[in-house]
Amino acid sequence: MKIGWYEKIKHAIRYWLLRRLPPCKQTVEVISQSFERQLSLRERVTLKLHLWICAWCQWYLEHLEIIRNSMREKGAESPEMDFPSAPTLSSEARERIKRQLTREKH
Amino acid sequence: MSEAPSKSPNQSPDAVVWLEQHGDYLFKYAVFRLRDPTAAEDAVQETFLAALKAYEKFEGRGSERTWLVGILKHKITDHFRRSTREAPIGEGEDDGPEHAEFFTRTDEWEHHWNKNYAPTDWHATPAQLLEQGDFWRVFSDCLSPLPERTASAFALREVDGLTSEEICEALGITVNNLWVMLHRARLHLRNCLELNWFKRAAGGQ
Repeated sequence: MKIGWYEKIKHAIRYWLLRRLPPCKQTVEVISQSFERQLSLRERVTLKLHLWICAWCQWYLEHLEIIRNSMREKGAESPEMDFPSAPTLSSEARERIKRQLTREKH
Repeated sequence: MSEAPSKSPNQSPDAVVWLEQHGDYLFKYAVFRLRDPTAAEDAVQETFLAALKAYEKFEGRGSERTWLVGILKHKITDHFRRSTREAPIGEGEDDGPEHAEFFTRTDEWEHHWNKNYAPTDWHATPAQLLEQGDFWRVFSDCLSPLPERTASAFALREVDGLTSEEICEALGITVNNLWVMLHRARLHLRNCLELNWFKRAAGGQ
């Protein structure tokens, strides 16, 4: 019974907060900007509160981090860059560049 | 390097070997950022030409490929500078889809996530994703519907880790414009990856 009350109160607080905080649409913009600049104190507090009650936006933030980290690793010139389906230089382009290089040398 | 093919005595062995060894790599690198095969071919050609002229400066320090990629990066930035001069973009002009449908528009939860588009648990770490070559095909496909400049800004920021200032300078845009572009790219990409990679990986649940 006690647990039931506790859950109800927690739910009520979350609901109350969610009605007053900026909605998800604005929050995801702030999340994106948090990757670009230092957020203001107000923005940070609002974001933290929103994330506390909203699993969707929590996941959104987590996914952006996953995307950034995997892309940065890829950007570090690792051989994984060579994913099999990536396009390669066409033979015409290859020939053209070869001709250019040979001409340039003389 | 000693077994360089010498098809014609006039050919510079170095340059031809470079082309064989690094051509495709540099091309992929450029296509990923420029999203235009013709522009990428040009950038690769300019890179080799510049490398040929500056070869004395290289002096075998570090790997050849790293050196060539360094030159290519400059050529890619040059390309953006040129295209920005030719066609300056207006503020807010096609930065990518706004994806208003991701959020509810009518009921009491207006502007909160629309359940059909809300993020779900990916159960994945970057390391796990990197192991799967297929992931990058999906990733590339997901980038392709974005406007060229938005996709490029995203690649320069997230793959190369250029600063906002550097990208704004190269693309000739304001920082606010860049933030809008990056936000739209992320919104689109995250959703696309979830639909085409994670839902599929989870057995289309």
